[in-house]
Amino acid sequence: VVVGEVAEGVDLLVVGGGPGGYSAALRAAQLGRSVMLVNRSGEAGVGGVCLQVGCIPSKAMIEVADAAHRAEALSVAGLTVGEVSVDLARFQAWKDDTVAGLTSGVVGLLRRAGVEVVPGDFRFTRPGSGVVQSADDRPPRHLQYTDVILATGSRPLELPGLPRDGTSVLDSTDALALQRLPASVAVVGGGYIGLELGTALAKLGSRVTIVEALDRLLPGVDAGLLRPVRQRLKALGAEVLLGHRVQGFEPGRLTATAHDETVELDVEKVIVAIGRKPNTDDIGLSKIGITPGATGLLEVGKDRIAVPHVAAIGDITPGPALAHKATAEAEVAAEALCGRAAAFDPATVPAVVFSDPEIAVAGYAPDEAKTLGMDVAVGRLPLTASGRAATMNAADGFTQLVVDRATDAVVGVQIVGPHASELIAEGVLAIEMAASPQDLLASIHPHPTLSEMLSDAARDLRHRAAGATVPTASQAS
Amino acid sequence: MSELEFRLPDVGEGLSEAEIVEWHVEPGSAVKRDQVLVDVETDKSLVELPSPVNGTVVRLGGDAGDVLEVGAVLVVLETDEPVRASSREPGDGAASASLAPPTPAAPAAAATPVEEAPEAPADAPDAPEDTRAAVDGAAPPGRRVLASPATRKLALELGVDLSAVWGSGPGGRISKDDVTSFAQEPQAPAPSAEPRSGAPMAVDEQPRPGPRRLVDEVVPLRGLRRQIAKSMTRSWRDVPHITDFREVDATGLVAARARLRPRLEREGVAFTYLPLLVKAVVASLGGHPKLNASVDMDAETISYHGRRNIGLATTTDAGLIVPVLKDADTLSLSEMARQIDLLADAARSRTVTTDQTSEGTFTITNFGTFGGWIGTPIIRPPEAAIAGFGRIRDAVVAVDGVPVVRPTLPVSVSADHRLLDGNDLGGFLTTLIEYLTDPVLLLEAS
Repeated sequence: VVVGEVAEGVDLLVVGGGPGGYSAALRAAQLGRSVMLVNRSGEAGVGGVCLQVGCIPSKAMIEVADAAHRAEALSVAGLTVGEVSVDLARFQAWKDDTVAGLTSGVVGLLRRAGVEVVPGDFRFTRPGSGVVQSADDRPPRHLQYTDVILATGSRPLELPGLPRDGTSVLDSTDALALQRLPASVAVVGGGYIGLELGTALAKLGSRVTIVEALDRLLPGVDAGLLRPVRQRLKALGAEVLLGHRVQGFEPGRLTATAHDETVELDVEKVIVAIGRKPNTDDIGLSKIGITPGATGLLEVGKDRIAVPHVAAIGDITPGPALAHKATAEAEVAAEALCGRAAAFDPATVPAVVFSDPEIAVAGYAPDEAKTLGMDVAVGRLPLTASGRAATMNAADGFTQLVVDRATDAVVGVQIVGPHASELIAEGVLAIEMAASPQDLLASIHPHPTLSEMLSDAARDLRHRAAGATVPTASQAS
Repeated sequence: MSELEFRLPDVGEGLSEAEIVEWHVEPGSAVKRDQVLVDVETDKSLVELPSPVNGTVVRLGGDAGDVLEVGAVLVVLETDEPVRASSREPGDGAASASLAPPTPAAPAAAATPVEEAPEAPADAPDAPEDTRAAVDGAAPPGRRVLASPATRKLALELGVDLSAVWGSGPGGRISKDDVTSFAQEPQAPAPSAEPRSGAPMAVDEQPRPGPRRLVDEVVPLRGLRRQIAKSMTRSWRDVPHITDFREVDATGLVAARARLRPRLEREGVAFTYLPLLVKAVVASLGGHPKLNASVDMDAETISYHGRRNIGLATTTDAGLIVPVLKDADTLSLSEMARQIDLLADAARSRTVTTDQTSEGTFTITNFGTFGGWIGTPIIRPPEAAIAGFGRIRDAVVAVDGVPVVRPTLPVSVSADHRLLDGNDLGGFLTTLIEYLTDPVLLLEAS
């Protein structure tokens, strides 16, 4: 013990206040533990990237951009709203209010649960001990914990040669805080973050170019789902450059190359969204004998425990870096450290992309299931078969159901279209419950809704088997 | 062509499940109407189930050894015959009816094959020919155990490896109940790749030298043996037995049988003591209705039976079967003798129907086949009592202070002490012994 270092005892310590961290803190408190939550920006920053600078702010921007765009698109239906414009400064104020409201909701939950929220960064000093240091002049707090849950999350990756400056070269956080709409933007990275930001900015009126080094958008998502998104980007006037590597940026001009060809883009701003990096490099893991893997991720058991008394959840563990995965793991880690039998063993972690149209997937894509050795049947219903979609002036998309023939169980659902992000949950339930297509078909879906399309996809499967086609419920009036 | 789901019918009242003993068809087999598809073993009998239509077998609903609930799909047949629609509520459209889940709670509907509306075959598209076989094979790496998240959590808490659990749902889906019962079952010491397969698991083909093992062979508890095990356990656990033992001077009984036997045998009836014993029991029950009753602890009621239906415990190769002589109080001795013969034959040949084994109100059993003297009969709930008779043999008894050799019949009666006290039981036995000692009294019995 260093002289002058007086350690406080902590029963269960949670490091990181994002969706994983605060959920773990709440669950542990509910199970009777005395919980301390260390979060970089204290109570003001609970909710983490997701609430403060990620999921929630981006959805706010997408909502406004989409409303502006739809007002124009519905002119075919007789709607006239005059000149549509979005005041980004006012949007930011509204978005900040929204985020602040949700943040105070989480703070309230933590307070009522008796969780102590401590601002600062935690680092291990040795097994069972660590120190919290805050940005201000407060003295460091030395902690001795019984159990700890690490939920330190991830941060945006930077592109070598294109360092963030916060004015011309932005990361996703900067982009969501724009006070003024840039006339032209290059989005570097065709993953879901780049696609969402690019689409929103295009709808707001920026001239958008998406630059992706790989030869396709949304790596990891079944290519068959992308066609409607590519078409819509084109209609929005957004350009997509695949297979292009960014070489450099000088004010007003981005340079990229594809093979030997060099492209110069005249753009006001560049947004870099090429991926995220787990925050495991600066928390003193070596002091407790943990070495992150090459990608910075921590190996954990099904109970999310890395070494005894230390659990890790969320973006610092393998799997998709998604809030709902972290939240689910939080429950498991808290229960495991409280001596309960717990395992993170979902049949699927769904993924949603708020592109236009939205893409939502759960379970296996058809090819994926085939690769795994399953004999699958695929039911598919185009959005044009949906009466409700027609009334929304939406035609691009489909709902697809993947069924393992041997067990007659739904193993995959893919939805492309309006509100796919909302509709996928039923697919997740079907996969988790090992529902058969018959279960979906026999569960009455309300008409006229987009949700009918899932049961109609099951009907399509049946009629394909019977070699017939019939009108679907969502099509009938 | 339409698909017909042939569901396990309710082949006798009170039956909730049956075990598949043997399939006579396989997927792809062409079948004719009334051709036997499968043998199922119900509570007490083997039943052959015939095909309701001409057609082709698409899929079997289970393997030999599987236990199916009444109303579960036994076999899926493809047929182009119009199939009689099942009795359903008016207004219940065919299409929706075809989507209805199995209806084990409604035996009347389930007893009739449920038709699929021709334009909407409700079966899953591209249903595999044999789900179980496909599932039991080497599973693709991506295929998970078919269980809901709540079931998986329960398994985790109970320390149950789901891959070892047999799922009772469609396609082997595992329910919470499956997990709970798996956790409660003592696991067999022998490794069992198929924990509930029907065939006995021969441990070794060849007798082999070496140390003898404690467990030489593990055989699944199945069929009749399982039924007996279950019902006897229930009785032993739930029913407080009191048993009264007597010895009866059978001189009168022997004389009565000797008088009656030539007359009845002229009519072609083999006349044993049993009809006389049944007569005496039935007559005694007439005066002691409390022994012809049932107690229901859940409802806290006692039911006095209006009929005297006497179960006759019959030894068969497969185990004990108890056919029931219905309304024994209305039968003449020769009718009784004939019916007893028929029931015993049916029991021994395993063709006894569930109807013939149900609705018993009192049971008679016997000891002494192997030289034993007397035993303690175990009641068959919900009956309230059971009478056991030993073998009539010569014994020295004191008559007027003098040792005399008399034919003697040992009798023991067990009664449910929840319903009956010692004096009830004693009263019944006293009456019974009066009739057995002096069978002439049976002439005036009601």
